[in-house]
Amino acid sequence: MELIVALGLILFKVALLIAMLLLLPLPLTWLERKIAGHMQQRMGPMRVGWHGMLQPVADGIKLLTKEDHIPAEADRFLFKLAPILALAPPFVVFVAIPFGESVSVLGNEISLYVSNMNVALLFVFAVIGLEVYGVIFGGWAANSKYAVLGSLRTCAQMISYEIPMGFAVIGVVMLAQSMSLLDIVRAQADGWNILYQPVGFFVFFVAGLAEAQRIPFDLAEAEGDLGAGFHTEYSGIRFAFFMVSEYVIMLLVSVLSVILFFGGWNGVLIPLPPLLWFVLKVAFFVYLFMWFRFTFPRYRYDQLMAIGWKVLLPLSMANIIITGIVFS
Amino acid sequence: MSRARDRTGTWIGWAFFSDLSSALALTFGYMFSRTVTMQYPDKEKWLPYSRYRGHHFLKRDDEGEIKCVACELCARICPCDCIEVVPYEDEKGNRRPAKFEIDTARCLFCGLCEDACPADAIALGQQYEFSSFSSRDLVIGRDDLLAKPGKAATGGGVVAARLNTKKDVLVEASEPQGYNWWRNIRRT
Repeated sequence: MELIVALGLILFKVALLIAMLLLLPLPLTWLERKIAGHMQQRMGPMRVGWHGMLQPVADGIKLLTKEDHIPAEADRFLFKLAPILALAPPFVVFVAIPFGESVSVLGNEISLYVSNMNVALLFVFAVIGLEVYGVIFGGWAANSKYAVLGSLRTCAQMISYEIPMGFAVIGVVMLAQSMSLLDIVRAQADGWNILYQPVGFFVFFVAGLAEAQRIPFDLAEAEGDLGAGFHTEYSGIRFAFFMVSEYVIMLLVSVLSVILFFGGWNGVLIPLPPLLWFVLKVAFFVYLFMWFRFTFPRYRYDQLMAIGWKVLLPLSMANIIITGIVFS
Repeated sequence: MSRARDRTGTWIGWAFFSDLSSALALTFGYMFSRTVTMQYPDKEKWLPYSRYRGHHFLKRDDEGEIKCVACELCARICPCDCIEVVPYEDEKGNRRPAKFEIDTARCLFCGLCEDACPADAIALGQQYEFSSFSSRDLVIGRDDLLAKPGKAATGGGVVAARLNTKKDVLVEASEPQGYNWWRNIRRT
């Protein structure tokens, strides 16, 4: 009986998580379009619902009812597989993400995470690395030159940002003496890691921008020069899969930034509920992503590789050494 | 990130991303500035200037009679040959148009008919909303032309308006004079 209750609870949490992650891109697209509009002195969507609030729903219905087209020369199996490969890893990663300690519901303590792995950070980086296969396969299978170029750029991008990103979080792991995200947040109760690891955060955030494929590093889809990059040939629901994946990864990088460097659900000065603190911080980072998108131009991909190898990698190495000397 | 700034010794600003942060500050400022969007069919509408060349209209004289003398000069000068005039003689012995048709689907709104008219009978007015599902509906006859609105008295403003789709698709302006649209442009 105990086992069934525990299992049911986990299933309930997973279902809640999936529902949340599938529905969050709707308000996020609305927000992104609104922010884009106001930064360009426009209004963004205004006609569907109050201030265009229902625009994402209309867009969703449109995408669902559109023709799901597969190009004649495409590799049909890979073409169908790629959106799923792009969509699944970001969802899987959230299993290891804690959203808070626990809340009490009807006298029972319910933890706000699906699983407390002791190697959660490693798990996150391992699984999120798989997402890139969806992008590469999608571009390759479509048999279109723009899509292949997008995929090639993704490969170049992946090898230049994954390593600095991995090194950047080692400083955090050294401070917390643990790879469990829960322990990392607990270790930041007195002072957030951003105070001790500013360089680490800088490297992590720049690499995170590349990971989320957002401007200034959105080389894989680069609307201006590649049509839509790797998902040029996708339409309908498969295209929606790629878009949802992109937004979930953006959310994931924001959540990781908050957990690793900004104290997770630890608040300062104002006593708010921990979960609210967490949500506010994540919302700030999501806004930052959108703000960046409509401010900065796109780097060329040789520039991205130069930044990755010549700037971020030495910085993250130096960060590890200095952290080791100072905090040992 | 210019090299000139490196040389003048402001590298410390470069190292702390002064250029990137000033760009971010600029876009943030724009985000809270007034939008310039005119919400045309839903809420607002542009009033044309008095020199605007919109839909044609035929004028009446002081006695309420049509000014046109059916000389067909407008039909002659029209570069797209879209005006058709058939004259007749009325009771008073004046030459008047029995038929005066303008095919607005072909018209290019150059205003030459207005210039050519010796009786100051035809002019291009302020109306610009006359789209139609059928090009046949765009052939406008004499009585319709007499009823069309004339030149705008003022103009160049944005007024509150309402989209009316009950009978015909119409955008009804609520007031004769609006605000100056240019005041919303942010100048930095």
